[in-house]
Amino acid sequence: MMLSHYLIASGILFSIGFLGVLLRKNTLIVLMSLELMLNAVNLLFVAFSRYNLSLDGSIFVFFSITVAAAEVAVGLAIVVALFRLKQTVFVDAFTEMKN
Amino acid sequence: MVSNAHILLLFLLPLCSAALIALLLRKSGRIAAGVSIASAAACLIVALRMLAHWDMDPVHRIVTWYSMGDLQVSLGFLLNPTAAVLLFVVTFVGFFIHLFAVEYSEHDDARGRFFGGMSIFMFSMTGIVLSSNLIMMFVFWELVGFSSYLLIGHYRERESAANAANKAFIVNRIGDFGFLIGIIAIWAKFGTTDLLALETIVHADPSKLQTMIGLLLFCGVLGKSAQMPLHVWLPDAMEGPTPVSALIHAATMVAAGVFLMCRVFFLFSADALELIMWVGVVTAIYSGICAITQKDIKKILAYSTLSQLGYMVSAFAIGTAAAHAGHEYGVGASLFHLTTHAFFKALLFLAAGSIIHATHHEQNIFRMGGLISRMPWTSVCFSLGLLALVGCPGFSGFWSKEGILSLAWEHERPVFYALLGGVGITALYMARLWVTVFLGNPKTEAVGHAKENSWVMVLPLVVLAIYSVFAGWFTPLFPNATLPILVDSIPHAPESMKVWLPILSFGTMVLGLVLGGLIYKSGGEKDNLESGIPFLYRFIQTKLWFDEIYLFYVQRIQQPIARLLSNLDLLVISGIGMRGVAGGIPGGLGQVLRLLTTGNVHHYVYWFAVGVIACVAVVAGLS
Repeated sequence: MMLSHYLIASGILFSIGFLGVLLRKNTLIVLMSLELMLNAVNLLFVAFSRYNLSLDGSIFVFFSITVAAAEVAVGLAIVVALFRLKQTVFVDAFTEMKN
Repeated sequence: MVSNAHILLLFLLPLCSAALIALLLRKSGRIAAGVSIASAAACLIVALRMLAHWDMDPVHRIVTWYSMGDLQVSLGFLLNPTAAVLLFVVTFVGFFIHLFAVEYSEHDDARGRFFGGMSIFMFSMTGIVLSSNLIMMFVFWELVGFSSYLLIGHYRERESAANAANKAFIVNRIGDFGFLIGIIAIWAKFGTTDLLALETIVHADPSKLQTMIGLLLFCGVLGKSAQMPLHVWLPDAMEGPTPVSALIHAATMVAAGVFLMCRVFFLFSADALELIMWVGVVTAIYSGICAITQKDIKKILAYSTLSQLGYMVSAFAIGTAAAHAGHEYGVGASLFHLTTHAFFKALLFLAAGSIIHATHHEQNIFRMGGLISRMPWTSVCFSLGLLALVGCPGFSGFWSKEGILSLAWEHERPVFYALLGGVGITALYMARLWVTVFLGNPKTEAVGHAKENSWVMVLPLVVLAIYSVFAGWFTPLFPNATLPILVDSIPHAPESMKVWLPILSFGTMVLGLVLGGLIYKSGGEKDNLESGIPFLYRFIQTKLWFDEIYLFYVQRIQQPIARLLSNLDLLVISGIGMRGVAGGIPGGLGQVLRLLTTGNVHHYVYWFAVGVIACVAVVAGLS
């Protein structure tokens, strides 16, 4: 397999994630789409790392996965808190930032 | 050798104690008191050990704090004989006042806050004493001002205490402004603020000295050491708890101004010294006279402190001017008086505190009376402190005043006569205080039932009394490191005056005491001077209208200008600028931008995407 295959796969994953963030109304799905975007980038890191025969990219991925795990924990906690507040997780219900 | 650990401990112990109390122990006063006293005791021990290990060569160690262009600001410490004297005084007197405060603050609900303030004060004062450059010293200088503010306003339910704290802080700001400009001027002129470097530069080229710099530095001294005309805050500062008055407003902080001058004595030109000397003399006489008509025991002592600070300031000026002119002895007389004054004035304040504690917060001397039989220990200690203050032969105050008077006699004859008169005034108001408080009959029930306090309160009195009596000549009381200043650089009367000078000062003192005794006889309920010469009494009580003049300035001159500027702001900038001509632009922009804030998360995602694309475009365009 060539590098371009990985790049295309990563690009498709990133686009799916991005559209998910833009279009979906369910906060949980938005969160998952975000993770998808993140992992698309991780894939790029690993691919380039292999292509350049350098471990730097692969090491960086470990950090980004760790951070992502922490971030998901916080994100889910926020979603739970939002649900308790409004009894729904759909983004249209949250317009507190106006006013 | 002085190790770094010594110095770090001196700084960190009180700082940690203060932090611990502020963060965890505010509610638990007993533990807070314990922590604070332990840190004060440890500081004393560390300071004594450090001075014992010191080989008398100046110790100078610095690390760079930050640098900005040519300005190098370092943190560091400089231990020289001047600092050694102050270090001993601060840690020693500080510890015993802490000890005294334990029982004094027994029924205080905010005991934790009180001891936290004491610890932060000890930290800042040590900082001033050991700072190696003027900027670092200024930081600690402000910190002592802060702790003084905190502690003056300790009884915060009293409005007078809050006002006094504000007054002290604001008046000090005025002085410190001059001090700060002085530091900047020094940096501009010499390119450094390091004390040792400055001394080297000035020694190499004395023509670089400017009168202005000395006077600007003296502004800071005017505020901190409460010299005329910025003396107004110190009597009001007596609103604070008595141990605070003893530690901060008598023994150590107010002496910081004198210490600052002694530390940078080489920066003062002859003209500056001339002015400083007269400020000191005028303060000494003026405050002594003011003390005569005060009725609050603490205020009498406060005016007395002002007066003694005046002695130190003028002694500094005369001594340094003489040293510049090639004579022996520089700042010795001033520092010696600072030291003995710290002991006997702390003692007087603590004894007054002991009386106030025993009489349930009675401070008016004309409502006391007959305390000598009721509180024997306190009375004896107070009397010893009093004899030291008025300069009774053999007591510490006698020796330090003799040093100052000899200096004045040799170099500034008019000042000598003024200061000699000051000795008489001191004796007069102290005789009045002693007779009224200790003789006669108690005027109130609380005073009648007063009893001696427990040994925790009496012990510090006894220790300080020993120092007040013997500090003039019994050198084993001091660490060796302080002796070069406290013994070797004290001026003595010239041969022709060897006999006459002590006789003159003794005679003036006796005159004052006798006069005081005659006027106030057995300690009645009224002030005999008030009924005897009411005109004179009322004139002294005006204190030359300093407070009134300042109040007039603030209310009638400063306030209208402020109001004028405020109106200008409202009318021109706010009225015409914002709502008038240019009013449409910010208003309309606001209306448009408000539309963008929809509150919907999805809309923000789009904006985010646009932002990312814009960023990428910019970066791509640039590279």
